[in-house]
Amino acid sequence: MLLSKTMRHSVKETHSDKKKHGAKKKQSATRKICFAFLFVVTCLSGSLRSAPIEFERDVAPILRSRCLECHNKRDHRGGFSLHSRNAAFDGGESGPVIYPKDTNSSYLLDLITPVDGSAEMPKDAAPLSPDEISMITKWIDSGANWPQDVELQPDQLWSLQPIQRPAIPQGIQSPKHFEIRSPIDAFLVERLQSENLSPAPEASPRTLIRRLSLDLIGLPPSPERVAEFVRDTSQDAYSRLVDELLDSPHFGEHWGRHWLDLARYADSEGYLGDSERPHAWVYREWVIDAFNRDLPFDQFTIDQLAGDLVATPTLDQKIATGFHRNTLRNTEAGVDLELYRTKEVVDRVNTTGMVWLGLTLGCAECHDHKHDPISQKEFYELYSFFNNTDDVGVTATRSWEVAEYEQAMKRWEPTWNELLVELNEFEKENLSEKQQEEVSRIFDGYKKSTDLKKLEAYYRTDESDWTNVEKRLIAQLAERPSKPVTKARAFSERKQDRRDTYVHIRGVYTRHGDMVSSKTPEVLPELVVRGETADRLDLAHWLFDDRNPLTPRVAVNRIWQQLFGVGIVASPNDFGSKGDPPTHPQLLDWLASEYPRVGWRRKEIIRLIVHSSTYRMSSADNSVPEQSGMSNQLLWRQNSYRVTAETVRDLHLAAAGLLDRTMGRKGIRPPLPGFVAEVGRTVKWPVSQGGDRYRRGLYIFFKRTVPYPMLMTFDAPDSTVSCSRRERSNTPLQALTLLNDPVFYECAETLGQSMAEKFAENPQSAIQEISLRCLGRPAQDSELNYLMAAYHDLLHIDVAMNADKEDQRTKALIGIARIVLNLDEFITRD
Amino acid sequence: MNLQRRQFFTSAGSGLGMLALASLMQEEGLLAQDIEGPRTHFAPKAKRCIFLFMEGGPSQMDLFDPKPKLNELDGQPMPESLLNEIKFAFIQKESARLMGSPRKFQKYGECGMDLSDLLPHLSSCVDDIALVRSMHGEQFNHLPGQLMMLTGSALQGWPSIGSWLTYGLGSESKNLPSYVAMTTLGRGLPGGANSWSSGFLPSQYSGTLFRNQGSPILNLENPQGMSREFQQRSLQTIHELNRVRYDKLGNPEIASRIEAYELAFRMQRTAPELLDLSGETEGTLEDYGLNREDNAKDATAGFMHSYARNCLLARRMIERGVRFVTLFLSTWDHHSNLDRSLKRYTEISDQPVAALLKDLKQRGLLEDTLVVWGGEFGRTPLGENRANFQTVTGRDHHPYSFSMWLAGGGVQGGQVIGETDEIGWGVAKDPVHIHDLHATLLHLFGLDHKRLTYRFQGRDFRLTDVAGNLVPQLFQDVG
Repeated sequence: MLLSKTMRHSVKETHSDKKKHGAKKKQSATRKICFAFLFVVTCLSGSLRSAPIEFERDVAPILRSRCLECHNKRDHRGGFSLHSRNAAFDGGESGPVIYPKDTNSSYLLDLITPVDGSAEMPKDAAPLSPDEISMITKWIDSGANWPQDVELQPDQLWSLQPIQRPAIPQGIQSPKHFEIRSPIDAFLVERLQSENLSPAPEASPRTLIRRLSLDLIGLPPSPERVAEFVRDTSQDAYSRLVDELLDSPHFGEHWGRHWLDLARYADSEGYLGDSERPHAWVYREWVIDAFNRDLPFDQFTIDQLAGDLVATPTLDQKIATGFHRNTLRNTEAGVDLELYRTKEVVDRVNTTGMVWLGLTLGCAECHDHKHDPISQKEFYELYSFFNNTDDVGVTATRSWEVAEYEQAMKRWEPTWNELLVELNEFEKENLSEKQQEEVSRIFDGYKKSTDLKKLEAYYRTDESDWTNVEKRLIAQLAERPSKPVTKARAFSERKQDRRDTYVHIRGVYTRHGDMVSSKTPEVLPELVVRGETADRLDLAHWLFDDRNPLTPRVAVNRIWQQLFGVGIVASPNDFGSKGDPPTHPQLLDWLASEYPRVGWRRKEIIRLIVHSSTYRMSSADNSVPEQSGMSNQLLWRQNSYRVTAETVRDLHLAAAGLLDRTMGRKGIRPPLPGFVAEVGRTVKWPVSQGGDRYRRGLYIFFKRTVPYPMLMTFDAPDSTVSCSRRERSNTPLQALTLLNDPVFYECAETLGQSMAEKFAENPQSAIQEISLRCLGRPAQDSELNYLMAAYHDLLHIDVAMNADKEDQRTKALIGIARIVLNLDEFITRD
Repeated sequence: MNLQRRQFFTSAGSGLGMLALASLMQEEGLLAQDIEGPRTHFAPKAKRCIFLFMEGGPSQMDLFDPKPKLNELDGQPMPESLLNEIKFAFIQKESARLMGSPRKFQKYGECGMDLSDLLPHLSSCVDDIALVRSMHGEQFNHLPGQLMMLTGSALQGWPSIGSWLTYGLGSESKNLPSYVAMTTLGRGLPGGANSWSSGFLPSQYSGTLFRNQGSPILNLENPQGMSREFQQRSLQTIHELNRVRYDKLGNPEIASRIEAYELAFRMQRTAPELLDLSGETEGTLEDYGLNREDNAKDATAGFMHSYARNCLLARRMIERGVRFVTLFLSTWDHHSNLDRSLKRYTEISDQPVAALLKDLKQRGLLEDTLVVWGGEFGRTPLGENRANFQTVTGRDHHPYSFSMWLAGGGVQGGQVIGETDEIGWGVAKDPVHIHDLHATLLHLFGLDHKRLTYRFQGRDFRLTDVAGNLVPQLFQDVG
């Protein structure tokens, strides 16, 4: 069940170590033939065009674009660099490769000459064109002139180039079924037409409302809302729907969950102890709320990276710094704590790099980045920003916790007060105020039953009825609600005993290299420092410096990914040279320039995108028949894909009418079989009761050593490191889960039962209602026939000896509900 | 999704019965997608692996590595030079004393391998095993050590060996997961489900936790009271409706979903059969020791049966095409009461492990089934004098030298690789790092550890990180 898109199976070498000489012999013969040919070409062109070769004009561009990525001043793959005359002529591990005027001895030509369509160099890339090879050959033949003072640098990475707002294509002729509603559409159609592709027509209203609901709030539309939308032919029907969804508090839950993936959010520490982080949810609540009030992305960032460093931080800003407190933490007895602290800092640098810059900084932890212009020193300069934080707990008791506590106390106190009256009967003599205080203290500090021994000083505990009173005191004290004290996990900057930061040689923290200070990488715009030394707040502001080309590109790409299933750059955390290039570069840059213009308001960008015809296209593979089966990389249709793990759960609960819409708050624990929980060390899993059992998937308590199996089966991230793109596998274990998991079966039961009650003797209506609730559309004739046939068969299977007709019907409808809840369409966003 | 399959789905008539469809799909080779042939780099010697993981760190000098000099020096302090730079989890360096082993060692087999008296059953298999006495690593704590042994990295989040193999070679089984984990646990595993996780590889390469009784896989059983007939009839309609959708839209993912349900249904039928031992002879059950008397009342109560059963099930899985099975036995973490506990744990495991080797061999499976035995590290030649211990009766964690053994799957049996120094502190000859073991393991499966890579966060990751050297002695004729 492997999807080719998830497969990156590679049989490449990671570290080039293949013997090059083996290939050399085999190539020579081929090369001779090529040379013969090239010489003819060379001589001919030489006679036609006698202009001498100019290194900078003719050769340098080839080297820059085809060789320098791996053979530059910093990176000498194979010990070889082509950045300067001396380096090039010195050669690499296999000796000199360029012999001026001697093309036969110049091994470089062997390396670049293709045999059977592939050449040794450039590695993992298309071979040089015949023209390019001919030029290099001519250059060597003519003496390989390379002016001493000319030093070459690789072409600048596309993502590091400044964002220039592209002009919107004008006069685009789009097909009738595809209205140019926004610049997005103009860019798309222009790109498609350049490849002779045609955009798909608009999806049906039923598909659109389900798509929008799933994309914006992660919940299905109610059958009533679907009917209303389908009926509504007014101009602004679509816009009103979009507004409604963006204003829904469930928006923050669904989009907040994407952010929690990036924040590697979990409710436990990880590693051996994996102790709970009982208040981690406060950060999750902050994220949901920030999305709902559309906290602009720049402020949203500042609060999370440096909320503690702003002039007068609010409680919310302190809570926001919990972003980087989500790192794994190893507290196993006897471990090297400093080692694991440095690993946390490394993770903070890596995460910051991937989430905001789309740079895989982690590659530079042990050595200079092999592909992107980030040196190891620069890695530790970024590390320095995070090397002096202290973990703190900030009191963040929520008002609902206090209210719940007070309610509970109200229920508890009457009995307690009655007991105190009874207790008075046993007083040795009237207690003084001081003694009464002492008694209160005993009760306040009560932990275990023996604590009540301390009462002996004040009460006649030898009397016969005492045991009875004591027993009830103990019972009542055990029931006493505990006062909520919620501590948000936050950061603060240490003032004393500040740590110096060094380069860690080969990534080993005990091996100090140069001492470094907080700085940002050279290839990016300069850092503006407020005070004497740069701090996290400067870093956060720097991310939004309007010269920084990465932040807006990366941010807007992620929004796109959430609305199309795949980003314009398919590798959302890697905008480096090994990441995927943008499929629609102009569109990406236009959106990236638009984001700051709308004040970094996420909802505005979402609104803009979902209003486009591009977003509204059908996702059917056959929506443009002649393009059926063709790759959709260029987005000639919308994508169709399975919803996330949490949404799989939410869809079930919503369709069954079981969903509890309580927002935020503590995590929940759905039922978990013992044998699953027991693989972790001393895992306590008290199953949630009441409405909590039916809350949304994003609230499931995430224990890192025992992740909730359903979430993992449907590709939820394991939260060890930041995740910017989830896999979408399609496996038999998923089928088993959907068929048999008790939570999902309960949904089928509930839905089937309520249909049986509502449509006692009309299975056809019941089936239609199930279809509307689950798929947002009535069943077509053929589907209805299949389902009716199933219904009639199921009526007679598993019939108890004396089952009555009603029970049979209910059972069969539960079976029907279960079938529909297991359909591909149900868990797919079309 | 290849073209043929798509044509099949669009052209075949609808309304086929469930089973008819399943068999048709099988005949048409439509399920072959999931059972891709091995994508090896060169000819493999091993096709399957059973990793007998001894959680906690078994004591090598009491089982595999006799140290007469250590016995002689019993009660003496360690040479100070050896203690510098060394980290312990719990030992107090200053007052620590060497601790000899009370075990009797004897030579066994044609090869004359020295083994402890605690391993009477394994001693009859020595000519099939390669014992490595020179294993070494760096991690002296459980979870980092276990992650290192199981995933090649001390940090959480890396794929386990079984995930790499499934990713590299695909699945061989039609009806069962290709990577299975089974446990015999007391207080649980330090890494929990991370011990068989797919880390940054896609989740379909993750190990599946298998229970040795009842319903072996989570959600394998129909909801309570639902018959197979009901399930089958439901699946038929799920299939019919998914087909309607596929015909209408043509998106290949729908066809994959249909396949997944077919596989799930077959797994429901096959997996319980796996647990049904009624087809095994009395002799086999006796060999594995399924019905041995077990009077333990401590946390290991029932382990004799459970571990024996797991060993037998491992063979049954291997027979049915499961590629990688990890059996966890927890815990060999004997900081105190070493003698008594070691006796107990070898009583639990020695007989079934030896039976497994013999059974595999007798069935001709050992040839291409690799069996690996070992934990995350070994134990110190020093007695453990933890601050609050009254007496010294155990050993601390020791990653700097320890023993493991391998058999089958192309491994040359009847040999000992490497040596430790006189007191068993460090490796004296032919060191084998954990990365080297991993490199060799992949090699046996026909995979070059440097070429089996996965791009993640901008880097091509591999099981052996940036290290790993083959240990040719393991799979080549000696002498």
